[in-house]
This record gives sequence, C-alpha cells and structure tokens, in this order.
Amino acid sequence: MATRVDIETKVGQALSSLVKDISQRRIDVYSGVKPRSIHSDEAWARQKGFRACLAQGMMSTAYVSQMMVKFLGPSFASGGTMSMAFIKPVYAGDRLTVHGIIKDKQSDIGATRVVVEVWVENQHGEKTAVGHATGLVS
Amino acid sequence: MAGSRTLVEFRKLTLDSLKVGEEFVSDDHLVTPEDIEAHGFAVEDDHPWLAEGVAPPTLMANQALHLRHSKYIVHAGLHARMEFNFLEPIRLGMRVRTRGKVIDKYERRGKPYMVTEYVTEDESGRALVRGQFTQMIIPEPEASHGHAR
Repeated sequence: MATRVDIETKVGQALSSLVKDISQRRIDVYSGVKPRSIHSDEAWARQKGFRACLAQGMMSTAYVSQMMVKFLGPSFASGGTMSMAFIKPVYAGDRLTVHGIIKDKQSDIGATRVVVEVWVENQHGEKTAVGHATGLVS
Repeated sequence: MAGSRTLVEFRKLTLDSLKVGEEFVSDDHLVTPEDIEAHGFAVEDDHPWLAEGVAPPTLMANQALHLRHSKYIVHAGLHARMEFNFLEPIRLGMRVRTRGKVIDKYERRGKPYMVTEYVTEDESGRALVRGQFTQMIIPEPEASHGHAR
C-alpha cells in the first residue's frame, strides 16, 4: 500500500533543482568498465560516432528519482511513477541540472497524485532528458 | 557435476532476429550494502538509504535494461525511453529478479527499436517495480566482430 506524505503542493511550484557533474569515474561505477562499451571505452564510443564516453540515460532517471524523494520523501518508492525520454547524449565531463515543476494534482484513491514535469539540461542549456514523475500526497 | 543443464544459445541482436513475445528472466540478485553505496557514489545520492534499510527506487533498473543480454549478443545500443511504476520499496537484503517480455519492435527514421515490458520482483514473486523501456538496436556492421555494448 502506498505511503502518503502531507506536504504543501501548488500547481506551478518548482521543485528544488539538482546539479550533477558527470565524471568518467561515476559512469564507470554506475555502468561497469567493459571493453567495447560506449560508457567506458572512449575509442569505441568515438568509433560509434560519439565525441566521448556517454553516461547511461538511466543515470538521469536516478537523478529525477532523487529529486522526487527530496520532495516527497522515500514514499516515492511506493506509489511513485516516472516516464522519461532520453533525447540527447550526456557525456563524461558534462554538468547536468535536473528540474521539476508541478503541472497537475489528481485525485487517486483517497489521496492526491502530484504530477511533476521533469527535465534534465546540460551546461549548454540543451535538454538531454524529458518526462514526468508522479507521487502521492495526503 | 555440471553438464545436464541446457546451455543458452546466444544470437546476434538485429531487428530480424528479435522475436516479439520473447521472454527474459534475470539471475537473482541479493541487494547488498555495497550496491547501495556504489549507487549513491555513482549518482551523488546522499539520502541515508542504508540507515533506512531501503534501496533507492531505481537501484535495479539496469537489471531490467540488461535482460536482452541473457539471450542475445548485443553489439551496441542506446536507451530511448524508460518507464517505472514503483509499487513497493526494494529493501536491503532482498533477493530480486527481473522478468521481461518483448512487446514491440519497429523501425523509425531508419533506426531499429525494441520495446520490453518488465517487472522486478522479490523471492516470493511480489512485484516491486513494473514498467517498460525502449532501446535502439545498433547492429554489428557486416565486416566487424565482437559483442560490445
């Protein structure tokens, strides 16, 4: 059963953003170091048409999850949802900022489901991932 | 003595070789303190997950993403979309596995894609996370060899 938290939410409210510096070391720990991997083998990544090793798109879902947990608490793990599209590569050395804005509040079995539009931007202001996440509040 | 089990026959992943309806299952994975610490380092997550005995909600996401490697030789690929429905927390000390099924494959702008639905569950079969994901398939060029990611 989903846990619900009692917090103030307003449509249009921005969540606290997160800033992430994407190092090769952190990519290696997340994805593992393997030969012929676009995440950890730079020569292979270049051969596949990328300028450097790529961070997994999944790392951005972890950042959004982190932002939602900071907003809702660990209850995001029981009743939360997330849907993300990865629209631009994230490279080792990039700096990402993770954003969220409350877009809607919906009734959901005796609670309120907060719908948050989320996106991740790189240091050039380009969106690298977009989507939405939701969670339950009282 | 080993030898009585059927060996997996791996096929090269292409849009043609991929079968819609094909099912995958991961090995069981014990969620350890090291998993949670490594994940925390990798994504700079300072939430006290270990003290709470709970894992970050996306901890086992790569178990789902790697399902296709259990049957196919994956030359390379890109992750296009990911959906999660977090049903129950993944807890420290749980043994979890992920099951998946290919539900679609298609070509868009000359690029091949596959869509997999998945559920991550505990030892009793209780669903913890459900969702689906879309991956681009980068097939092996005719003249090259290897099985890269």
